[in-house]
Amino acid sequence: MQGGSSGIGYGLKYQARCISDVKADTDHTSFITGTLSLREENEVHLIRLSSGGTELICEGLFSHPNEIWDLASCPFDQRIFSTVFSTGESYGAAIWQIPELYGQLNSPQLERIASLDAHVGKINCVLWWPSGRHDKLISIDDENLFLWALDCSKKAAQVQSKQSSGMLHYLSGGAWDPHDINAVATTCESSVQFWDLRTMKKTNAIEHAHIHNANYDMKKNHILVTAEDESGIHIWDTRKPKSPIQELPGHTHWTWAVTCNPEYDGLILSAGTDSTVNLWMAPTSVEDEAITESIAESPAQQADPLLNSYSDYEDSVYGLAWSSREPWIFASLSYDGRVVVESIKPFLSRK
Amino acid sequence: METDDVPLDDKAKRMRDLLSSFYAPDPSSTDNAPSNPGTLDAINTTSFDADQYMNLLIQKSNLEALLQRHVEMAAEIKNIDTDLQMLVYENYNKFISATDAIKRMKTNIVGMEANMEQLLDKIMSVQSKSDGVNTSLFEKRERVEKLHRTRNLLRKVQFIYDLPTRLEKCIEAEAYVDAVKFYTGAMPIFKAYGDSSFQDCKQASEEAIAVIVKNLQGKLFSDSESIQARAEAAVLLKQLDFPVDSLQVKLLEKLEQSLGDLQLKTNDIENASMESNDPKQGKVSDSVHITAHEGSVRGFAEAISAYRVIFPESEEQLIKLVQDVVVKHFETTEQYVKGRISSANLMCVLRTIWTDVLLMDEVLSEAVLPVFSLEAAQIALKQHVASTFNYLLQDISDALLRVTVSSKEAAEEHSLQVALEASKKAVLQGSMDVLLDFRQLLDDDLQLLVQLRDFIIDWVQEGFQDFFRALYDRFLLLSGRNSSSRQDQGLTGAHGEKVLAGLVLVLAQLSVFIEQTVIPRITEEIAASFSGGGARGYENGPAFVPGVICRIFRSAGERLLHHYINMRTQKVSTLLRKRFTTPNWVKHKEPREVHMFVDLFLQELKESASEVKQILPQGLARKHWRSDSNGSTASSRSNQLRDDKMTRSNTQRARSQLLETHLAKLFKQKVEIFTKVEYTQESVVTTTVKLCLKSLQEFVRLQTFNRSGFQQIQLDIQFLRTPLKETVEDEAAVDFLLDEVIVAASERCLDPIPLEPPILDRLIQAKLAKWKEQNPISP
Repeated sequence: MQGGSSGIGYGLKYQARCISDVKADTDHTSFITGTLSLREENEVHLIRLSSGGTELICEGLFSHPNEIWDLASCPFDQRIFSTVFSTGESYGAAIWQIPELYGQLNSPQLERIASLDAHVGKINCVLWWPSGRHDKLISIDDENLFLWALDCSKKAAQVQSKQSSGMLHYLSGGAWDPHDINAVATTCESSVQFWDLRTMKKTNAIEHAHIHNANYDMKKNHILVTAEDESGIHIWDTRKPKSPIQELPGHTHWTWAVTCNPEYDGLILSAGTDSTVNLWMAPTSVEDEAITESIAESPAQQADPLLNSYSDYEDSVYGLAWSSREPWIFASLSYDGRVVVESIKPFLSRK
Repeated sequence: METDDVPLDDKAKRMRDLLSSFYAPDPSSTDNAPSNPGTLDAINTTSFDADQYMNLLIQKSNLEALLQRHVEMAAEIKNIDTDLQMLVYENYNKFISATDAIKRMKTNIVGMEANMEQLLDKIMSVQSKSDGVNTSLFEKRERVEKLHRTRNLLRKVQFIYDLPTRLEKCIEAEAYVDAVKFYTGAMPIFKAYGDSSFQDCKQASEEAIAVIVKNLQGKLFSDSESIQARAEAAVLLKQLDFPVDSLQVKLLEKLEQSLGDLQLKTNDIENASMESNDPKQGKVSDSVHITAHEGSVRGFAEAISAYRVIFPESEEQLIKLVQDVVVKHFETTEQYVKGRISSANLMCVLRTIWTDVLLMDEVLSEAVLPVFSLEAAQIALKQHVASTFNYLLQDISDALLRVTVSSKEAAEEHSLQVALEASKKAVLQGSMDVLLDFRQLLDDDLQLLVQLRDFIIDWVQEGFQDFFRALYDRFLLLSGRNSSSRQDQGLTGAHGEKVLAGLVLVLAQLSVFIEQTVIPRITEEIAASFSGGGARGYENGPAFVPGVICRIFRSAGERLLHHYINMRTQKVSTLLRKRFTTPNWVKHKEPREVHMFVDLFLQELKESASEVKQILPQGLARKHWRSDSNGSTASSRSNQLRDDKMTRSNTQRARSQLLETHLAKLFKQKVEIFTKVEYTQESVVTTTVKLCLKSLQEFVRLQTFNRSGFQQIQLDIQFLRTPLKETVEDEAAVDFLLDEVIVAASERCLDPIPLEPPILDRLIQAKLAKWKEQNPISP
């Protein structure tokens, strides 16, 4: 669509997969990202968008013992974040605290608050409750779902409950419902499962294959967006798991990540292995259900849900994060370690 | 007035104006040219302002002009004075002549009164004389009148006594009209005195009348009598206060019974038309059927006309009856239309109905049967058009589904191709047949159809529009069902899956065919013989919009093609997922041979290629992609760089070279991995391969390898290189992707030391040998 020169770039030294919005930082638009390098010393970068919004400044650079497969910033404390890391043979997950910064940037050590060391298999992700202060954490490995009680002051995390996903369900990731502190969705090869954290029981499931990523709509209850290998993006109402509310074409290759805008209704961002990031506008009203089913009826009338495709990437894009402070800004991270921050302001007017 | 003004000089004009202003009731109307006070002409208006005028004059004129003006004005004032004088004189004159006239009138009236009194006396004497004459003649006149009344009474009595014999005579002479007239004339008397003085007479005449009534009834019901006579009989019966209504009902029932014979027998018609298609014997039986039917209708029509003459006030019932007939006709037609019939047959039916309608219309034009049947025919024809299209749709999807079934059973090599051809033919031939069929409807000169011409054209156009929409939906349904069933079947239903994937491909190609061939043909055909229409109003535009349909099918074709590629790659994806998630790559053993997933992968590609080969045309030329891909200029460069990288990768890939690869990527043209898919064998296969390789790369990136694992990947990829290049048109992209896989694997490797080239070679040779052994026939 367009060259994509509008984005502000920032280069990491190594390859990377994950980027997270530092939600608790209310004064600046910041992102945190970590590298994925098997054989080099990995780094965590704290990046801040300059006040003019024209450049990305490295606010902190910390070394991290292993390659980072997942990274999430604590929604209530800007200095705390979680990582999932791997040595190549084994996996680990930990909660870290960024040390107080006194202007120096030369790789101070991260302080490990707690390590989530109850896992055996491959850990996939650590989830914070996205809507505010909550002392629980969720970590997901291939087979199990753990609920942790985190005490930052005591620097300890304890397993509160654990649930196995059951045979033949290899979990791949999950999402915590921002509207319901007790609801979590996990993705596995053939379905999305919903859990009630109080009972640690499965409440519901969407049978759908090859889901890579799921994300709850921050504004609207019960709306879950999923990204799949071939069939693109699906928008679900969790009360109606039989069929999706809407289907978006997604990417030419896999749609890897998908995330809903925290502020603007229906704005969805997706990142794909075809080295593009697509900005979608999902029609919001319920009547649109009928329209989508009969797109054929009026291809001219149906507005293209694709608002823009950012294609200025050299490699697959795995990391994607909206800024919650300035919700018209998002950061994307391609595998070659390049962070690009873009503003979607030009497309908001079309809303 | 204005025209008069011209010849008059100024003075005379003013005079007249003044006079008229004097006599006119409304002074304002006189100034017919209201000029504003700002000009010098304002002097003659009522709104004249002397000061302003002076100011204006002084401002505008020089001294000389002022002096001149002064002189002029003095003269004018003098003129006005004389005018005034003259006016006074004239008025005075008129007044004097008026008094003279009044004086004369007074003298003339004086002698008249005496004459008048004389006249009154004379009139009085005339009146007294006429009174005298009147009284003297009164007595005689009274007598004459009395005598006359007696005579009349006597004559009536005589008539009553004569009535029975008279009636007898009338019966003998069958002069029922007179008889009824006599009888009804005598009725009031019978009523008054029937029980006393005229009893016998009454009885006798009533008997006679009973006979008459019986005769009249007989006459009414006998078909042999002339209609006129029957009508008369009915009228007479009515005059005799006979309950005619019951008779009417009876007759109506009789008519209704005859309706049964009129039922259209579509079978007959069908047979007739079938036979009439057969030139040898058809004519006779056809005409026999038709004439038989026509005969009965004619009879019915006659009966109706008779009935109508007999009971003129029963129109409504008759109209209802006749409309019933038509309604029934059309009901049968609608039933008939529901089946699969040709327009010729329908026309035959309509023609018969129309003849009936015309026949009946002749005798009962008030029923507005033509209009009525037009409406009904409109509905029937609309249904016919709709059902025809329905059947066409059914045909096409049958053709498509037969494909899946037959190929499932026979598993023939060219089944898909056959299917494509069959469905192509079904679409094109079917649409053409439909058009031809409808053409017959248009070409026919049957009045009914001629009147509906515009409607038919619109319906056909609309029909096509809707038909293609429906066809599109059907396509999506067919392919969509495939996708859902694919998910249900998983890997177990691999065979069925293959067929369905083929079907999607057939659908895609069929969409293109429809867009490029069928629609233009149909548009042409419609333009040639179905133009006009416009019954639905121009604001809606023509009903058939080929542009929209073309667009729909173009997008459908693309979607289906993508869907096909997706289905194919998805299968490979599952394969790769299994391959990469199952083993523990960190503890991989040393590579001994090329892994078997490569075989499966290649086999999948082969299957896909064989499907594609059946359906899609070959590309214009190999390397066609270079002309339209963005990466054309850099292809040689990228090749060279690739070679560079290969040597490096084989020698010193041990350390991280992220920066290097980055730099290389920056300098290298970004290889267009995801180019637009075209409807060629090469393009589809290439896209499939590209997507699969990209997936392969992504799977590799998710794992961590030990040295042996990396070497295994290296070996597999190296082996894939040759067969893939053979099948694919975009070698550069595939090479690039294969390299990318190796790069990804080395990046994800704890100890990336590649296999020595000789070992690599040996293992590949071994695999090739084994391969040849297994598939001795394959190239």
